[in-house]
Amino acid sequence: MGSLTKPLILVVVIYLLLKFVVPNIPGSAPLPSSLIFLYLMLTVAGIVIYYTMSGESKDAFWGPIQRFLTGENIGALQTARYAVLILFPLLVGWQTYGSTAVSDAPPPENRTIHPAPPGEYTGLSNPVAKTPDNIMQGKGFYAAFCSPCHGGNFDGKGPAARGFNPPPANFSDPTTIAMLQESYLFWRIKKGGVGLPIEGMPWKSAMPRWEVELPDEWIWKIILGEYDGAHQSPRTWE
Amino acid sequence: MKLGLNKVHSCIMVSVMVVTGSFLVQSVSAQESVAVRAVMTKEPMPLDDPNAAVWSSAPQAQFPMSPQVHWQNRIQEVTVKDLKVRALNDGKQVAVLLEYADPTEDPADAAALEFMVGDTKAHFAHGQPMAQVEGGPVNIWFWRNKDGKGVDMSAKGFGTLKPQTHQDVTAKGVYANGTWKVVFSRPLTTEHPNEDMQLKPGEFINIAFAVWDGRKDGAGDLVEKGSQKAVSSWWYFRAEAPPDYSGYIYAALAMGLALAFQFVLIRKLKKGQST
Repeated sequence: MGSLTKPLILVVVIYLLLKFVVPNIPGSAPLPSSLIFLYLMLTVAGIVIYYTMSGESKDAFWGPIQRFLTGENIGALQTARYAVLILFPLLVGWQTYGSTAVSDAPPPENRTIHPAPPGEYTGLSNPVAKTPDNIMQGKGFYAAFCSPCHGGNFDGKGPAARGFNPPPANFSDPTTIAMLQESYLFWRIKKGGVGLPIEGMPWKSAMPRWEVELPDEWIWKIILGEYDGAHQSPRTWE
Repeated sequence: MKLGLNKVHSCIMVSVMVVTGSFLVQSVSAQESVAVRAVMTKEPMPLDDPNAAVWSSAPQAQFPMSPQVHWQNRIQEVTVKDLKVRALNDGKQVAVLLEYADPTEDPADAAALEFMVGDTKAHFAHGQPMAQVEGGPVNIWFWRNKDGKGVDMSAKGFGTLKPQTHQDVTAKGVYANGTWKVVFSRPLTTEHPNEDMQLKPGEFINIAFAVWDGRKDGAGDLVEKGSQKAVSSWWYFRAEAPPDYSGYIYAALAMGLALAFQFVLIRKLKKGQST
């Protein structure tokens, strides 16, 4: 009996480890179910090889499985046996259908939200002094040029935002401008959506290329106004 | 006693199988409403009838619209906020029905569909140039109330929009009860793959929309005209292929094999036990 309980406990323990312990190791991430499934299959293969090495362990291992499958002298377990015998083909059929049926979903999109900027737009510092006057001017420009999409509250919910996909960035969200340097914002405002590299899917972005309409100084002031209005500060190198 | 132990074994075995099964089943994904699906119909295509009963057989997709604020000249507010879209195909033609609220019927009321051409990505704003990606042209199907027809157009960048020399698109609009219904249609494929989008049943392509409310302001000027319009960015469009039952056939085959495997295995085990 013990010979069959131990491997089953092993499989369950490994499953629990992969599912709940590994993702919590610092620097790790949840494993995809296909990978967990692969590891469990390897574990099962290892167990089978181990128990079939000697004749005795082989009988102790296969005996209970054989009795269950043949249904001899298992009494009340007949119901469970029939359930397994019916469920197994159904499972195989379901899996086959899932992997051969034509997908009905649009192609997946792996858009990079903050792709790397061109070299000339890294490490620029804001040439405009962070004075209350400049911040106020920046907020004025923001209200005129940016707020229709990015919103008067800097939350990405301006009146013109709804039709655009991807939606305009929400600056009050800590994962947008708070993670970026002023230099990066300067690039994105100046070159707009069409300035993105291919992984940023530039063909979908409605962000204007402001360099054709606004002088650089205005853009730097807008950046001051944006950070102030959204209650965020630019990322710096500690 | 022995029976009890067996029971424990089998319960664990069943639970392991269920766990394994749940892995296999996870591949089924949820449906998103980001695409227009031109379903297959055997009925006559309603190429110029936005009110035909057959339209109800097509699922309705709905897309939000924005005022065009991406490039000059901009507009800050537009009439049409949402667009409902249905589509049909019969294996030869495709028909797309736009439906939207507009309080008044005006001669300059207009609507357009935009498609990427071939596999080359194109910016939704008339295929304007992109800094780091070589973009392609867009194919635009345009309808205006006072023209009463569809115009098949091409663009690759601002100021390049012009009607094609070969016109393959038809369009018809019907206004009633504050609602425009406009049908665009075209053969699934044309002989101009460099200018026209081509539909291969089952494959997703990109689509975007534009609408102009042709009302005039107090001075008698059009409020929405040219780049001042309601727009969407890219969504998906697909002409559905005829129903494909091969998945069911493969599944039935696999189930048959699994049953046969079980049968042979148990027979063999029983033989082994009796000897």
